[in-house]
Amino acid sequence: MQLKNIIFLSFISISTFLSAQKSETLIPKDAVTVFSINNINLLQKISIDELISYEFMEEIHQELFDGSTSGKTLKDAGLDFDQKFNIFYGKLDKCELSGFTFGITNKEQMFSVFDDFEVTPYPNLNGAQVYQSFFNNLIVKDGAALLIRVEPSMELIDQVTDSIWYARGNENPYDYFEEVNEDVLNEEIYDENTQIENSFPDATLDPNEKNYNELRDSVQLVLQREQLDKILIQLFVQNDNLIHLDPRFEAQLTHPVEGIFYMDNARNIDKSSGLWYFQTVLPSLYKNIQELYAGNLILGDLLLKDKSVDFAIEVLYGDKLGSIYTEMNSSQFDKQVLKYIPESSTAYFTYNINLRKAYEKAFEVIMPLLEQEKNAQIAMNVLTIELLNEFVNKDALFGTYKGSMFGSFNGIKKIKTKKIEFFYDEETFEYGEKEAEAEEDMPIFTVGFSIERNDIPEKVLKHLGRLTSKVKNMGNYWCFENAIFDSAPLYMINKNGLFIFTNDQDLALNHALGYGSKSINNVKFKNAKKSGFMYANLDVKTTLNRFPKDLLSPKQNEMIESLRGKSGSLELRSSKTTKEKTSLNLTYSFSGIEQSGKHLLDLINTIYVVSK
Amino acid sequence: MDELTIHDDGSGTLKYAINLSSSRVKVNSILALDSLDGKKVPSIEEIKTKVSLFKKTLSLQNGISNISISENYTDFIFKFECDFTSIDLLQEGLRKTFSITLNDKSILASDFSWLFWDSKVLERSVPSIATNKLNGITENDLSLLKTGTYTSITRFDRGVERFENPLSKLSKDKKALMLRTDTYSLKEKHSLLENTIYLIPN
Repeated sequence: MQLKNIIFLSFISISTFLSAQKSETLIPKDAVTVFSINNINLLQKISIDELISYEFMEEIHQELFDGSTSGKTLKDAGLDFDQKFNIFYGKLDKCELSGFTFGITNKEQMFSVFDDFEVTPYPNLNGAQVYQSFFNNLIVKDGAALLIRVEPSMELIDQVTDSIWYARGNENPYDYFEEVNEDVLNEEIYDENTQIENSFPDATLDPNEKNYNELRDSVQLVLQREQLDKILIQLFVQNDNLIHLDPRFEAQLTHPVEGIFYMDNARNIDKSSGLWYFQTVLPSLYKNIQELYAGNLILGDLLLKDKSVDFAIEVLYGDKLGSIYTEMNSSQFDKQVLKYIPESSTAYFTYNINLRKAYEKAFEVIMPLLEQEKNAQIAMNVLTIELLNEFVNKDALFGTYKGSMFGSFNGIKKIKTKKIEFFYDEETFEYGEKEAEAEEDMPIFTVGFSIERNDIPEKVLKHLGRLTSKVKNMGNYWCFENAIFDSAPLYMINKNGLFIFTNDQDLALNHALGYGSKSINNVKFKNAKKSGFMYANLDVKTTLNRFPKDLLSPKQNEMIESLRGKSGSLELRSSKTTKEKTSLNLTYSFSGIEQSGKHLLDLINTIYVVSK
Repeated sequence: MDELTIHDDGSGTLKYAINLSSSRVKVNSILALDSLDGKKVPSIEEIKTKVSLFKKTLSLQNGISNISISENYTDFIFKFECDFTSIDLLQEGLRKTFSITLNDKSILASDFSWLFWDSKVLERSVPSIATNKLNGITENDLSLLKTGTYTSITRFDRGVERFENPLSKLSKDKKALMLRTDTYSLKEKHSLLENTIYLIPN
């Protein structure tokens, strides 16, 4: 009898274990980027308010900022700390999806945080319960939950709305505004029009019929529901998820580390809207591009150490792309570059590739793909490339630009500029203008390229100097006045097998042959030299906190903002490139008393912003 | 800088100049961006179109003539000048023009009276459209305001008897007043440029 009980209890335990849903099984197969945090104990003390302030939560955080999270931690939200916490993002042809999945131990506590969700009746999803709020959807099944947001693409919403709008016999909804704008310069008509309310016109005189914006909202809602249905049926009826789709993701999940990263670049390429021309006009070439990108995947492990977070990344690719990368990265490190990075530099990188070998391999791999195309334009392009390949002096071309380069950020310095001053006669107050010296803050950058044929840029600069007085030979360097923003000089140094562009007057004037003993120390020198094709070092506090955002694109600013206010340093190293993969290692070292879980999130957030 | 000339009959000339030449690097770097702080950065062509719309719209307003606008996109100096037949028409014309150019109907309803003239007394203040813009400047850019200056000059056909703003300076012939301040102080205290000027009776 006792044996029977033991067998029965064991059966129950095993069944419960087998039937319990794991949070990672709720990741939709359409997710192309996933962060999975294994050890979420690290996040126990992090407040939810802090967590949802990260960019990777941006799609889902609106309704959480309503006081329900105030003063609460993840622990108070009923989360199961024995399960993984997975953040995902995916872009499909018709929509974008984002969200996270997690385990739950206490549903009641969870709904004290997610207090805006209401139960929504949904067709049979094998026991999964759906809750919805204004923006998001929360699906709970057997101790795991999926919080998901689905956004149909604007293009699709517009297409469907327009199609319905015009099929109903309506006219262009934007004509209304054009008419108003044409009259705006006529004073009398403008006065009359100011009485008109700035609202969208109704479709018809019938108030029950939707106007354009109302119709668009309805279309968006229907498309949202359609996409959500598809994803939920895949997950809960067909049991089809990312783990089933990609065994490499499944394998990555088993790594005994704090977190893992997965990004399927091959599927990113599939969904890239920039390739629509190839997809529609040159489908066979598009297929070849897809084949070239097959197997392109980035996998990463996040390891938390005492004073650092390590991010070990493997970039995997197919044979063809691998053969190009291998040739490209088979380059000798150019030690000369390190002479031009000062010890005081707060951020620098070296990039070491052999462009000639990469070109030759790419020519060998890509040209046969292009030659197969039976398209007149492609055929002409192939002929042009073939002829250029025969006639262009590749020794001169790749001798001038070998491919290796370096860059450094040397802080903010005052630079001399000119300004126009207004001055006033003290008796009559009549004013005049005069040119005067001015000083403005400017970030100091240096970018240099390895070069064998330094006679070629010298020739170019010599002739430019004859064309304009702005370009001057100053002996050890060349100066191009007002080259930067029409205000500041650009210096060019053509020495030591390097061609360097900089706005650092001190480098041009006093260190044209290198910084000597003032260049980066031996440890940093060796780290850069030992690294493969790429090395980067960045002091977060002294670089990013004072980096002028005026100089960067919105995307770059988003990345900088994700790290602004943080301390510590970032170091990126790469390994030797093989035909299958290249390994990279990003180390975020920190000091101070901040929780290590927070640093982990900081790094995840930065990677999310970069990979989005 | 602004320079307002008022003749005895209430007509006059308004001159306005913006000099950003000491921030050429910053202005150029901003113009090189697509957007900043979530707002679209206009191209030089778009700015030129706006300036042209402003000029064209103002030229249609009653009582305003001889409009001239010079644009220097190398040093970023912009100068505006127009004649007016009365202070009221000048203010009304500018109000409508700003509203149309900036596509902002709220300007029509805003307090746009910053000048009052009754042939003996001139009252000057700063229009709310300008003070609102100053209030919108972010903390990061406040230090730059300290290096900027604002000069306001008022000229008359006859002499000034007295004025209320002690920061004002009277010209040798007593027919002009000048007020100077830095742009940061102006942001902090909009009343710095306010003045009531009493003229010597005819």
